[in-house]
Amino acid sequence: SRRLNMHTQSTCSFFFLYDGSKVRGEGDPTREGICYFYPEETPLDRQELLCGQLAGVGRCVSELSVSPVRVLRLRRDKFAIRMKDDLFWALGTSVEVPTVSVCALLDQLINLFRFYNGSVRRSYQIHSRETLAARWAQYLSHLQSGSSELHHIFSCLRTIDSTNVDPLLLLKAALILQACQRCPLVLAGCVLFRGRVVSTQMSPELTMKAMVHESETYVKVGTTPITSHATPLKDTPPRKTRLSRTLSDVPSTESDPPDPGSPQPPQNLSFGPVPSQGAAESLSCPDQSPSSNGEHGAEGEESRYFSFQTAIEEDVHQSGDRGDTACAEASQSQDRKVSGESGGGGPPPGSSSGAEEAPLVPMTLYLHRVKSLVLVLLVEQHFLSDSASMEEVYHSSLASLNGLEAHLRTVSPAAPGAPGPYSFAHFDCVQSTLTANVSAAPGGAPERPFVRAVALLHSHFSDSASLQEAIIRSAGAAVYGTRSVAQETFFQQHGGSLRNSGIPNQQDSCFSLPSKARHRLLKHGVNLL
Amino acid sequence: MKCLLIASESAEVLFHWTDPEFHQTIQEQYGASQEEGQGLPAFEDSISTLFAPIIISCSTMVDRLGDNYTSFTTESNHIYVLHQIDECLFISVNGDGEEGEDDLRRKIYVMKKMLEVLFGMVTLSSTLLRKQLRPQDTEQRARLWKHLQSLLETYCHLQQNDQSFLVEAVERLIHPTLCEQYLLALIIMAQNMYPSNVELDDPSPEDAESTSGSGPESFYTPEPSPTDFIGSVRGSTPVFEFVDPDVQMAEDSLQTLEVPSPDPSNPRRVFLEVSLKEGLYPMMPHSMYCLPLWPGISLVLITKIPTSALAMSVYKYLEAFAKLEKRLSEGQEGSAATRGQPTIHDVRNKLDKFIKALGPRDIKSAQLQNVWTEFKNRAFVRGGPGFNKDLIPWCKNMKTQLCGIYRQSFLLDSGPADTQQRLSPSLQERAQSMLQEKLMDWKDFLLVKSKRNITMVSYPDFPGLIHFICVDRSTGQMIAPSLNVTERTTSELGKGPVAQFIKNKVWNLVSTTRRYLQKGYSTVTLRDGDFYFCYFLWFENETGFKLEAGDIPILPDVSAPIGMLAWDYYRKLLRYYSKSHQGEVVKCYELLTVHLGVMPTEIILQHCRQLASKLWEPSRNPLL
Repeated sequence: SRRLNMHTQSTCSFFFLYDGSKVRGEGDPTREGICYFYPEETPLDRQELLCGQLAGVGRCVSELSVSPVRVLRLRRDKFAIRMKDDLFWALGTSVEVPTVSVCALLDQLINLFRFYNGSVRRSYQIHSRETLAARWAQYLSHLQSGSSELHHIFSCLRTIDSTNVDPLLLLKAALILQACQRCPLVLAGCVLFRGRVVSTQMSPELTMKAMVHESETYVKVGTTPITSHATPLKDTPPRKTRLSRTLSDVPSTESDPPDPGSPQPPQNLSFGPVPSQGAAESLSCPDQSPSSNGEHGAEGEESRYFSFQTAIEEDVHQSGDRGDTACAEASQSQDRKVSGESGGGGPPPGSSSGAEEAPLVPMTLYLHRVKSLVLVLLVEQHFLSDSASMEEVYHSSLASLNGLEAHLRTVSPAAPGAPGPYSFAHFDCVQSTLTANVSAAPGGAPERPFVRAVALLHSHFSDSASLQEAIIRSAGAAVYGTRSVAQETFFQQHGGSLRNSGIPNQQDSCFSLPSKARHRLLKHGVNLL
Repeated sequence: MKCLLIASESAEVLFHWTDPEFHQTIQEQYGASQEEGQGLPAFEDSISTLFAPIIISCSTMVDRLGDNYTSFTTESNHIYVLHQIDECLFISVNGDGEEGEDDLRRKIYVMKKMLEVLFGMVTLSSTLLRKQLRPQDTEQRARLWKHLQSLLETYCHLQQNDQSFLVEAVERLIHPTLCEQYLLALIIMAQNMYPSNVELDDPSPEDAESTSGSGPESFYTPEPSPTDFIGSVRGSTPVFEFVDPDVQMAEDSLQTLEVPSPDPSNPRRVFLEVSLKEGLYPMMPHSMYCLPLWPGISLVLITKIPTSALAMSVYKYLEAFAKLEKRLSEGQEGSAATRGQPTIHDVRNKLDKFIKALGPRDIKSAQLQNVWTEFKNRAFVRGGPGFNKDLIPWCKNMKTQLCGIYRQSFLLDSGPADTQQRLSPSLQERAQSMLQEKLMDWKDFLLVKSKRNITMVSYPDFPGLIHFICVDRSTGQMIAPSLNVTERTTSELGKGPVAQFIKNKVWNLVSTTRRYLQKGYSTVTLRDGDFYFCYFLWFENETGFKLEAGDIPILPDVSAPIGMLAWDYYRKLLRYYSKSHQGEVVKCYELLTVHLGVMPTEIILQHCRQLASKLWEPSRNPLL
C-alpha cells in the first residue's frame, strides 16, 4: 500500500531536483531545498522524506567513495542520480527498466533543461520555482511522450517509418534543409512530421532537444505551435568549431532591442514554459507571417512562424554589448567569466575551467509549421533581427514544405498490431534511431517476452564491449541479439514449436535464429551480413 | 577496496571486515574529519561514524516508506550492496572493480549462512544475535571478529579460485547425506583451520607426484541415523559406519600448509540441517572434528551431540510461535489464529512438560518459565485478552526466550558437561590411524588428483573446446577440467596470463548465465571476442529421458543469489519443476562450455550434446 510507484504507465515514477545549499542549518526545513518534484501532487512530507533521505545518503556515499553517486536502488524503484555541487537530481523508475536507460533519461532531461535555460543554478536565481517547474514538467513529458517501451530502452529519436515513405520525400526534406543553410545565419535544421523526425542535419542529441516544443504541440493538437528556445551547447561536439567560428565571424549587431510592438503569440500560453516576463527573456517574435493558411486553421493548423530566445549562458560576453537588458543582467550574475572583451569576441575557445559544464553559446531556434509538418532551424541569435535572411529562408522553403506536407499526409501510418511471423528491433547507435515491428506499447502482452529480452540483452551489450552475439531462451521466447559499433539488432521468431528439452541439440530451432534474422531483416533494410 | 559491515539499526557495529586499502581510506577520512591533535580512535568507531548516516537512513526508509536501499553505485564504479535481515543491516562494498553487485550480495548471504552454521537458532533472534556477534568483553569480541574475518577471507579465496566454489557444487561426492550447502560451508571452516598459501604450496606437477605439498580434504559423512552413532560413541566400541568409502574431494582447492593446527581434539560446534522421518530440521547442533591425516589431507568428522533432542524441541516451538505471530499480524484472531498443526493446545501441553523437564536449574529457564506463564495468562485464561494483536509482542518474547535456552545449551561453554559430549581422544586417534592405513596407497594419487583431477587432454575428440563445467544439480556434483593458473604450472591453457585470462572468462560466464537464469532463461549462447560460450540447463527423469523445458521462475534483481551456499536455489527449482511431474524423479543438469569462436556453431553444439550425454556415464568417471 505504501508503494512508491504510483505512475506505472510512464517510465519515470519520480523525479526531483534538490538544492542542498538551501538546507544548511539544523533548523532549515527540507522543503527549502526542493526545487522541483514530480509527480507534483506527491504530499509534501513524502517529498521531503525522499529528497532528504536520498540526498543525505547520496552525500554520505559520495564522501566515502570520493565520487558522486550514479545509481541508487531500492527494492521497488531504481534511481539514476546526478550530483553537482549542491544540486542533487534523482530520477526513479521501476527496477525493470535497464539501468543504462534510466541514467540516459536523466542525463537527457538535465541537458534539455540546460539547453533551453542555461545554468541550472542561475535559472533558479532568475526565475521562480513555479516557472521552472513548468519547464521540468514539459521536458519530462516530452522525453516520455508517445513513445514505446523500446524507445525508452534505447533512449532513441522518434522517427517516421522510413520503410513506409517514398525515399524521394526524404530526399526532398533533406534538400529543404540544405536550401535553408544557404543563409549563413542558419546553422543546421531538421524537418519533423507529427512529432517524428523526417530529416535532420543535427546530431541525435541536438535533434532530440530541438523537438521538445514540436512534439508537445503535436500531442496537443489545436494549439499554436510555438515557444521559446535558445542555446545549443556542448553536446554537439562535431559542430562546435563551426558554431564558434560562425559566431566570431559575424560582427555583433549593435543594440538591436526587441521590438516591443511585436505581436505576442498569446496562444502559446496554454502550454509549455511560457516565455515569462523573466528578466532574461527578450521576446522577439517578428510576426511577418506570410502565412499560407492565414489564420488558425479549423484544426488549429497554420503556418506561421515565431521564434524568441530565452536564457543566455555564461561565457557569452557579447551579450552585454547588445544592450539587451536580459543579457546584461545575466552577465552580472556570472562569476568569473566576464572579461573586458568587446562583443563579437566569440566564446572563449573551449577553456572554460570552473564553468558549470561545457561553455554554453546562445542560439535561437526558428520553428516554421505547416500543419503537421515543422521546420526547425538552429540559427544565429541575430537571425531574428535580420529580416532579409528571414525572408530568404522563408521563401526558399515555403513551397517545398507545403508540398512535402501534402505528400506525407497521404502516407498511411504503418498499421501496427498485426503480429507478423517474427519480431525485431534494430537500433542504429550512430543516428540513435530505432526500427522495429513491434509497437511495444506499455502493457502489450504478446510482445512482453521480446521486450524483456531486448532490455536484458541491451544492458548486457552496454556492459560488455567484447560481446557480439547472444541467443537467450526462456520457456516463452528465444531471442537473438547481435551488435556492432554501429547497431544493435534483436530478433525473435514466432510460431513453430518452442517445445524442447533444453538439452544442447544442434537441431534446436533457436540456433537457426541468426540465419533467419539475416534473411528476414533484409527487407527492412537491416543488413546483418 | 573491499568491506563488509554488519550493523544494528542504531548503527552499532556488530562485525566488520575490510581489506587494507579500505581500512586506510576509512582512517584517512575519519582522521580528516577530526580535530587535530586527537589520536586516531579505534577503527570500529571510525567505521561506525562514517557509515552511520547510511545505516540511519535505512531505518528511516523502512519505517516511513516500507522500502529500503539495496545498492548504490558511484561514478567511479564503487558498489555498495545493502541487505537487511531482521534488525541487522549488512553492507558490502567494493571499490576496485573486482566484484559486481551479484558478488557482493552473494558474500552477504554466505556470511549469513556461516553465522547460521556457527550460531544456529540464535540467529533467529536479533537481540541474541546482536549479543552473540558483539560480546561485551573486547578481547572476546576481537577474537570472534578475527575468526569471522578469516572465514570470510577463506570463502572469498575459494570462491575466486576454486571451480567447485564458483558453481557451488562438490566434485565427485557420491552419496551426500549432507546437502552440498553444508558441505561447502564446512569446507570453508576446514580450509580456514588449515589455511593454504598458494605461493608456497603450489607444487609443480612433478613435485605433486612426489607427495609433499597439497591435497584435498576428504569427507566422510556419518550414517544418516545419528542416534545409533551417538550411542556407539558413548560405548567403548568405535563404530564408524561410513556411508560410502569413496574418497571425495573438492577439486583444486584445499591445499594446506604445515602449520600448527588448533587442538584437533577440540571440536567446533556447527549447526547443520538434518533430514529425519518427521521432516527437515535446520540448525541442529553437531560437533566438527578436523583431524589432519597428512599435510594436505584432513579428515573431517561430524558427530551429532547427545542433547540434540532439545534443539529439535526448541525448533518446533519456535516454528509454532512464528506461525502464530504471522497469523496474528495478518489480523486473524481467536480460533482462526490458533488453527494449524500442531494446535496451540498441543504446544501448550508439550511446552509445559518441556519447561518442567528443563527444571529451574538456571536463570534462563526461569525466565522462559515466567514469560510462558504470562503468555498463558493472556492467551488461555477465560475473560483474558485471548488471541489478538496484543499477543504479538509475547510471541516475540517467547521466541527470544527459546533462542536463549538454545544459546545456553549449545553455544556457551558449560564446563565439564561439554567435554563429556566429545569423542574421546583415543577414539579420535583410532579414527585417524584407521583412515591413514586405508588411504596409504591412495594418498599420493589423491594429492596429484587434487591439482590435476581431469585435464582437457582427456578430451581429444572435442577440437576447439577450451573448457567446460558440468553440474548435476540433483546431487550437487560437478565435473570440470582443472584450471591451474599459477605461474609455475603449465596447463593446456598455457601459462600464467593466458590461463588467467581464460579463468576470468569462465568466472564471468558463470555470473552472466546466473543473471539470465534469474530472469528465466535456461539456454544462453554468447559470442564474445574470440570465444563462444554456451550454457544449458535441463531436466531429465531417472532413466535419462529428457523432460520438456518448463517455466523457470523469474526472480527480482535483489533476490538471494543463485547457488547453493547462500540459498539452495537448485533444490527449490527442482521442487518447483517436479510439481508438474508428479510421480517422477526429476534430475537437473547444467552445462557450461567455452569454445574458440572460430569453430562452426554446429560443431560447438554437437560437442555440448556429447558432453551432456556422456559425462555422467560411469565409464567417463575420471576417478575410476
